[in-house]
Amino acid sequence: MDELKMNEKEQIETCQSSRRAVLGYLGSAIAGSVAMIATGAMLPKAAHAAEAAPPVPALPGYDWSKHRWAFGVDATKCIGCLRCVEACKAENEVAGDAHHFRTWVERYVTLEGEEHARIDSQADPVNIAASGSEKEYRFANRYAGEKVEKAFFVPKLCNQCTHPACVQVCPVGATFKTADGIVVIDHTYCIGCEYCVQACPYGARFFNEEQGVSDKCTWCYHRITKGLQPACVEVCPVGARVFGDRNDKQSPISQFLANNRVQVLKPESGNAPNVFYVGIDKEVI
Amino acid sequence: MPKHAVRLVLLLVIFGALAVAARYFLVDKSYYKYGYYRGDAVMEIAQDKPRYQGTAYCESCHSDKVSEWSKSVHNNPDAGKVVKCEVCHGPAGSRDPQQHYMHAATGRVHPDDLKMAIPTDTQALCKLCHEQTAGRPSQQRQIVVKDHAGALQCTLCHNPHSPGTFVGSLAAPEHRGDAEAGKGKIATCLDCHGANGISAGLPGPTLAGQNQTYLIATLTEYKTGKRNDPMMAPIAAAMSDADIKDIAAYFSSLKCKSAANTAEQTAAAHEAGASVCVNCHGANGSSADRGWPNLVGQSKDYIVGTLKAYAGGQRPNTAMNALAKGMNDADVEKLAAYYAGYSCK
Repeated sequence: MDELKMNEKEQIETCQSSRRAVLGYLGSAIAGSVAMIATGAMLPKAAHAAEAAPPVPALPGYDWSKHRWAFGVDATKCIGCLRCVEACKAENEVAGDAHHFRTWVERYVTLEGEEHARIDSQADPVNIAASGSEKEYRFANRYAGEKVEKAFFVPKLCNQCTHPACVQVCPVGATFKTADGIVVIDHTYCIGCEYCVQACPYGARFFNEEQGVSDKCTWCYHRITKGLQPACVEVCPVGARVFGDRNDKQSPISQFLANNRVQVLKPESGNAPNVFYVGIDKEVI
Repeated sequence: MPKHAVRLVLLLVIFGALAVAARYFLVDKSYYKYGYYRGDAVMEIAQDKPRYQGTAYCESCHSDKVSEWSKSVHNNPDAGKVVKCEVCHGPAGSRDPQQHYMHAATGRVHPDDLKMAIPTDTQALCKLCHEQTAGRPSQQRQIVVKDHAGALQCTLCHNPHSPGTFVGSLAAPEHRGDAEAGKGKIATCLDCHGANGISAGLPGPTLAGQNQTYLIATLTEYKTGKRNDPMMAPIAAAMSDADIKDIAAYFSSLKCKSAANTAEQTAAAHEAGASVCVNCHGANGSSADRGWPNLVGQSKDYIVGTLKAYAGGQRPNTAMNALAKGMNDADVEKLAAYYAGYSCK
């Protein structure tokens, strides 16, 4: 009996000592992981350390911290000439076919006696047939013989959202929002997974199969950082597209926002778009 | 510490070191510079060379065209309507071809190795904005092309750089002639143009009620030899500029005479394409005195003869030659009957 008790006691002591050791290892492992995580977290922190004066890309004559770009679309002025769509393709070397567009124009036509609008864009086969080429765009006069109750054009482009879902989902940090408010893609980092194309609630992104990267409108970042207007704004003959800096109260966009009652597309998506529309119906989403 | 635990810890340390080394060598140096992305990408995207150069760039060489355009309806910033050079002509710059999606800060700008396109099919071009189409706002000027010009090119009548200015349009003369003085200078005219300027079957056209600008321009053309006619050339050569103005004033002050059209004639004329004629010659055959003649009061035979002279090229005029060539004999008859039958004001 005594012998047995002794054995039990020994066993318990051995167990206790090994449990203590294991707990000790565990403790040091946790401490080590915490230290590693902390070191890891320190790396990006280092960039933010100099919070007083964040670094600015050395673009000649341009300080991105001084601008807050925004875009306005007055659909009551758009005549559907599609010069913006062609100019965008030329300026940004977008593939010359009917499937890849950084900006596009939609037409909403409600015929007499119909409940919903008929919607087409320049990429519609009827409109491509009217232009005779996939590289040139024109709206076919397809409702010429119909009784049209209401019709209007809506130019669309990337909304450069304040909280962009597309940036949120990128697994490699290839798409990001610049300090002046433009969402751009680093094509050398893009792995072509198309998460961002799926995430955009506005269908503003497309995939370039030829190069295996996603692409999108940048409000012509290479132009606006040189003091020029985006190509689509430059060629719009009727002033339906308005672009400018919200930090400048005299800029066309500040005037546009001050003088018009504006709306954004799909505000419920929570992306907080920065393209402001005038003169569109609830059917436009 | 047990041996196996030491091995485990050692392995972890090696993995950690490898991870740190991989991170150091594989992550771009600019990655955390501005945020969770490669900072150098901003510079690369921003360095692209712009292709659209703007109107000021075009003006440096084509100041004549730009000045014509700047005064036109296509440059109306107050109404928010500005059709810049590159809207119709395309971008004046190009970017050096790189691997696609590699950004390029270099390229060519017209005229350096880069030709600009001059649009040839102006009807296709102008229709992009001006064809009547569902969805275009009402303030946009729109036309039903088949009624307005048929298959003709827009530039036949419109100056492409100033579309509100018309080919063949003339400014009204600054000093109008004196109709009373003109009355004494027309004795020679009446033999062919009829008493009171109404030519009833005589070789010359009716002059009564014709607009002054056109009469002055025509007499001046005869006088200078720009328009040739064995009868009119010597007569006009003998006139002074003041005579021409006085005579023009006199004839335009007279009232022409014609019968009203029947409904059938009007319908037939519109079928024959009169809706194109009214763009210059006016809805009731009276032009707006911009150098195009009034057709009201002319005899049918005279209009037929004139249209045939235009079609055959004996009478040169860019717009009328092209228009007349597109008409068949039946159309010509219908149009002539229509204008001959218009009632004078």
